[in-house]
Amino acid sequence: MSLWIVEKQEMSAFVANMMGDYRVVGPLAKGAKFAFGPIEDPADLRLDYNTSILPPKKYLQPPEERMMTFKRNGKTTVETVIDAEPTVIWGVHTCDLQAMRVLDEAFSQGYPDAHYLRRRRRTLLVGIECREPCDEHSFCKSMGTLSASRGYDLHLTDLGETYAVDVGSEEGATLLEKYSRARLATEGDMQRLNKVLGAKWPRFPYKLEFDVGELPALMRQSYNSPLWDELAQDCLACGQCTLVCPTCFCFNVYDEIELNLQDGERRRRWDSCQLDEFARVAGDENFRKYQAARLRHRFMRKGRYLIKKYGELGCVGCGRCARSCLVDISPVGVFNDLHRVKVKEA
Amino acid sequence: MAENGKPIRQAQDKPKVAFFDFACCEGCQLTVVDSLQTHLELVEAVEIVQFREAMTEKGEDYQIAFIEGSCTREEDEVRLKEIRKQAAIVVALGACAHTGGVNALKNIQPSLQDVREYVYGDKWEWYNTYPARPISAVIEVDAFIPGCPIDRFEFVDVVKKVLLGKQPVIPDYPLCVECKLKENVCMFDKGGVCLGPITRAGCDAICPTYGDGCEGCRGLIPNPNENAMKEVLVEAGLTVEQLMAKMTMFNAYNPSQIDF
Repeated sequence: MSLWIVEKQEMSAFVANMMGDYRVVGPLAKGAKFAFGPIEDPADLRLDYNTSILPPKKYLQPPEERMMTFKRNGKTTVETVIDAEPTVIWGVHTCDLQAMRVLDEAFSQGYPDAHYLRRRRRTLLVGIECREPCDEHSFCKSMGTLSASRGYDLHLTDLGETYAVDVGSEEGATLLEKYSRARLATEGDMQRLNKVLGAKWPRFPYKLEFDVGELPALMRQSYNSPLWDELAQDCLACGQCTLVCPTCFCFNVYDEIELNLQDGERRRRWDSCQLDEFARVAGDENFRKYQAARLRHRFMRKGRYLIKKYGELGCVGCGRCARSCLVDISPVGVFNDLHRVKVKEA
Repeated sequence: MAENGKPIRQAQDKPKVAFFDFACCEGCQLTVVDSLQTHLELVEAVEIVQFREAMTEKGEDYQIAFIEGSCTREEDEVRLKEIRKQAAIVVALGACAHTGGVNALKNIQPSLQDVREYVYGDKWEWYNTYPARPISAVIEVDAFIPGCPIDRFEFVDVVKKVLLGKQPVIPDYPLCVECKLKENVCMFDKGGVCLGPITRAGCDAICPTYGDGCEGCRGLIPNPNENAMKEVLVEAGLTVEQLMAKMTMFNAYNPSQIDF
């Protein structure tokens, strides 16, 4: 689709104009960090954020949500509840756009997840191109997520005085038409865009010491690596890595009942394969009893299992897990260590 | 627990509940009193027959006993066993009853005699004491509500589960989980320290949410990686002394302290 230009000074109006029709969310400052939150004043929107504590997936799969309510007082009723407000997410980085493609696959294959899918249909994504690496932990370039050609409704690139806006869907085109004063890009704008995109590339280092295409095979060969036991010595099993991960989607379902012991609701909440009880089943059996097995499972999901099942890698290189890890376990470190062992053995 | 998981609550009569306290500050019972005001349905759901902090009546006919405080004297054991005999369900209320809490700090002092003299001065002989212990070291406990003080929502939830004849589900994952779900900036990123990675969740990460590191009042998770935690704390700038103080503030109790 065609390329458009929005003046920076008109961005606030663009955001504000849609606020009556949509829940509008985007990156906001939170202490020295950033977190996606509802935009009350468009001036608070921080499109220049480096990364967010939680990924914007929280609007597609909320940390906690109601799934249904039930009543047993009098006539028994069960009602499905899907909270899915029309939402525009501003400022989604390309790593997170790719992560949402993974989630889309995971939640639509097999038994389609009605809650996720309805929210997904009602959510519009405004992506933004990263011009600088967010910090030392990200490795998007190695994972092939440093740019995006799809998966967004609109996609912004900061050109200094203006934003170049790429339209990715009909809904995106409507947003632009209805709420902005965008103009069609000129030849000069195109040249500026190409220059910006060309200049950003060398600023991002490759972090993996091998081609990411080799990752699934490497993981298969590393199932019995002694590295898992070594890492488990340090791992706190705190679960942060999976909770901040934009492609992790595991959840736990539970019921909450009123004090009348009759009525209540069924809820679900993010879960983590790094926690003791995650794999505990009936009879108190735990099929991933040790942290080494749990860690291995996590990295296998990221590097191998998901691409086998959904056709997309489970890691997008956002670096959030490494950033939050108190004992410095990182996918770059793990993948490279495994690769070095393999090279040495060959 | 109620037999065969059948609800203890009968349509015609409400289950009778009693509250007891041992060595504690009674802050958990204060939280209960508070929750009776925020959750009025509680008063509808049960009949409270004994609750020293909130009423003068003292009924001895009860099915559910909530016990706050640690056991710190031999005579406490007698009273605990009496309660256990009467109650179908015993719930440990708060850190002192659940893990020994701050009371167990005395267990790791050079001698119990020093502690008695420090606390009671020249009248130390008037007061008997022995190493503090959670009530589960003395009697069988059916459920526990961790925390210093308890979380009122968790209290209400435990009441519901007990009335339903179900084992209450107390999280056995670390605080980091709840803290991340709230999207707090990590205490370590703010230059602070926190016991969140090894401490049992369930308080909705209240301390980090309001800017303080976790002190571990809810007890440790079942398999804490204490060595890794200590290394993280040392790296964050704690001295060995500060580190030990932090690790033991709420978690000083160890069964070997009472196993002679």
